[in-house]
Amino acid sequence: MKILHLYHDLMNLYGDYANVLAMQRILVNSGIEADIDRLSVSDNAVLTDYDFIYIGSGTERNQKLVLEDLRKYKDQLKDCIDSGKVILMTGNSFEMLGKSITDSSGKKYNGLGLFVFETTEQNKTRITSDVIFKTELSDKKLVGFINKCSSITKTDTPLFAVKMGIGNSENDKSEGVRKNNFFGTHMTGPILIKNPYFLEYIASLVAGADKKLNTDYLEYEKAGYEVTLSELKKRMENEK
Amino acid sequence: MKKFFTILICKMLRAVGKLVGKGSSLPGKIALKLCPDILSRVELPEYIIAVTGSNGKTSTVEMIAHILTENGKTVSWNKEGSNQIEGVTTLVLGSSTLGGKVRSDILLIESDERFARYTFKYIKPTHYVITNLYRDQLTRNGHPDWVFDALKDSIYPETKLILNADDPLVSLFGYERDNVIWFGADKLSTDTKELVSVYNDGAYCPHCKAPMKYSTHHYNHIGHYECTSCGYKRHDTQYTVTSVDLDEGLAVIDGKYRISLALKSLYNIYNILAAYTVASIVGIDGQKIAEDMSDYVMKNGRVITFEIGSRQGTMLTSKHENSISYDQSIRLAAADKNGCDVMFIVDAVSRKYFTSDVSWLWDIDFEMLQNDNVHEIILSGKYSNDLAVRFSYTDIPPEKIKIIEDIPEAYNYLGSDRKEYIYVITCFSDKGKFLSLL
Repeated sequence: MKILHLYHDLMNLYGDYANVLAMQRILVNSGIEADIDRLSVSDNAVLTDYDFIYIGSGTERNQKLVLEDLRKYKDQLKDCIDSGKVILMTGNSFEMLGKSITDSSGKKYNGLGLFVFETTEQNKTRITSDVIFKTELSDKKLVGFINKCSSITKTDTPLFAVKMGIGNSENDKSEGVRKNNFFGTHMTGPILIKNPYFLEYIASLVAGADKKLNTDYLEYEKAGYEVTLSELKKRMENEK
Repeated sequence: MKKFFTILICKMLRAVGKLVGKGSSLPGKIALKLCPDILSRVELPEYIIAVTGSNGKTSTVEMIAHILTENGKTVSWNKEGSNQIEGVTTLVLGSSTLGGKVRSDILLIESDERFARYTFKYIKPTHYVITNLYRDQLTRNGHPDWVFDALKDSIYPETKLILNADDPLVSLFGYERDNVIWFGADKLSTDTKELVSVYNDGAYCPHCKAPMKYSTHHYNHIGHYECTSCGYKRHDTQYTVTSVDLDEGLAVIDGKYRISLALKSLYNIYNILAAYTVASIVGIDGQKIAEDMSDYVMKNGRVITFEIGSRQGTMLTSKHENSISYDQSIRLAAADKNGCDVMFIVDAVSRKYFTSDVSWLWDIDFEMLQNDNVHEIILSGKYSNDLAVRFSYTDIPPEKIKIIEDIPEAYNYLGSDRKEYIYVITCFSDKGKFLSLL
C-alpha cells in the first residue's frame, strides 16, 4: 500500500509527521507492505495512486503558500473524496478545502470549495485547548489538543462532538468536517499515535474490512491514551 | 503624589512578599492598578537592556548581570525571572527612589516574548537582545511565526537590536534596518553539513518562502543559510564565536578571547556570546568579560550535580514543550565518552498551566541517543507510556530502555549496582520530584 504525506515540510508543526508513521506501522504489523511518499510544493502527485493521504498543520503563512499549490489537486481531491479514499487532514490544513479563508488583515483567499464552510482568522489570541471529542465512528472518545487562530462557520457535516474544549467556532459544540472517508479536524500533533482506537478505525478503512489488523503492539499507546483521558476528565471535574 | 504612593506601596508589598516567600509579580500588579501609567512616570537610566527569545533568556540575563556587576556597574534586573509586565513593574519600582528615579546604571529586563509589546510600550529598551525563536510551548505560543508577529510590535525604531544572525527568523527583525548589532558563530568543528533534527524550521525563507540552503548547521536550523530566491541570508557578525572545542570545554570569541566552559554545550556558548556582546557594548573590555565568563556556573539551578549511592550524575533542566532544549541536553549526554545512563521524566507537562499534550515529544531527536556512549535509558513519570511509544519509533534497541512510571521507584533503580554516570533530563515542572529524593 502507499501512503502520501503531502506538504510534509511546510505543514508539520506539532510532530504531525508521526501520523503517517503510525499508519505505516499498523499496516506493516498486520502483514501489509506500506511505503510513505513525502511530497511538497512543486511536486506533482497522482492522488489516486495512494491508499492513505495525510496533511498536517502549518503556520498561517505556510498554509497560504500551500493553498496556492493545492489548487492543482482540486479535481483529483474531489474525485478522491467522492470515491471514498481515506484522507486525514489535521490542524489548519483542512481549512483549505472550504469556500474561503479570511486572514487577520481581512484579505480573503478562495479555498478549493469542496466544502461549504468558511474560515476566518484573527491575530489577537491563540485559540488553544486540550480536548475530548466523541464520535460515532468508535466507541472510544478522542483526546488531543487544538491550536489555531481561526473559526469556521457553516459546517453541515462535522466530524466530532465536543465533550471538552473547543469546536469549530465559539459556542459550537461540533468540530471538524467529514465526508465519506475524508476526515478533517483542528486537532494537532500525532493524533493517530495518541488515539490508538481511532488509528484502528482509520487503518481498517485503509486496509479494507476483510483484513484483520494486528493491534497487539499498541500496549503503551493504549496505556498513554487512558492516562491522558483520565487527566482530562479530572480537569473537567475540577472546572465544574 | 500618586506616583510617590504607588512606588511606596509597591516597595512595601515587595518587602513583605520577600519575607513570606511570595513571587514578585503581585506588587507590580497592584501598582499598575493604582497608577496604570506608572512606568512612563519613572526616570530611567542610560541603558535599558532587554532580553527575549525562546531559549536562554534567563541564563543570558544572569550572565550579563554578573559581568556588569563584576566590572563596577550597578544593575537592576529581574532575578526571579518574573518576566511579564507585572514582574517588570515590581523590578523598576523596587529599584527606584521614592521620587521615581531608577538608581542603577543599567536596567536589565528579561521579557516574555508574547508580553514584550505591553511591557515595552512604557519602557522602551535602548538595546534589545533577541536570542532565538524556536518551537517553544506551542500550547500557549501557537508557533514561532505567531511569536515573531507578537514580538514585532514590541520593537521601536530607536531601539538598537542585538540579534542572533544564525537564526533565520530572528534575523528577519533586522531586515533592511540600520541600527542592528549582529552576533553569531563562524563555521565550527562541531557543525554538520546536513540538518540534525526531526523537523526543519529553516527549510523555507522567512522573508519570501522560497527554499533555503545551508552551508553549515551549528545545531537544528541554527547556522549559515541563504535563500535560493530573494537573496535573504545570514548577516555578517560583529561579535563572533570563532572556534569551539566541546570535549575540552573551550570557546573562543573574536579569535582571541578564550572562555573555559562550565557547561559544554553550544547552547551555553550562545548565551555567553549574547552576554559578551551586551557587555562589550556597555564598554567592558573583552579580556575581562572572558575572565568573568570562564568556568562561570549558573546560579539559576538549571544544571545540578548529584550523587546516588556511589553513582554520580547531572540534572540537565530542559524545557518540556521545547524540543530544541531537549535536543541540546540529549546531545550533551550522548557525547559523554565515559559512558552514561540517561533518565527522562515527564510527569507534569507544564508548571503553570494544565495540559496533557505530548506532541512535542515527537519533535525531539531522541535518535541521537543511539550510540555506544549511552548504555541505558530510563523513562519515568505520568507520561512514561507516551515516552515509551516515542522511543519505539527510534532505532534504539528496546532492551536498552527501562520504563518505570513511578519516580521514587525509578530513583531507587538508579541507586542499584550500575556504575555509569547518570544524566537526568527533565523540566522545572518535574525536577523537584527527583531532587527531593536525594
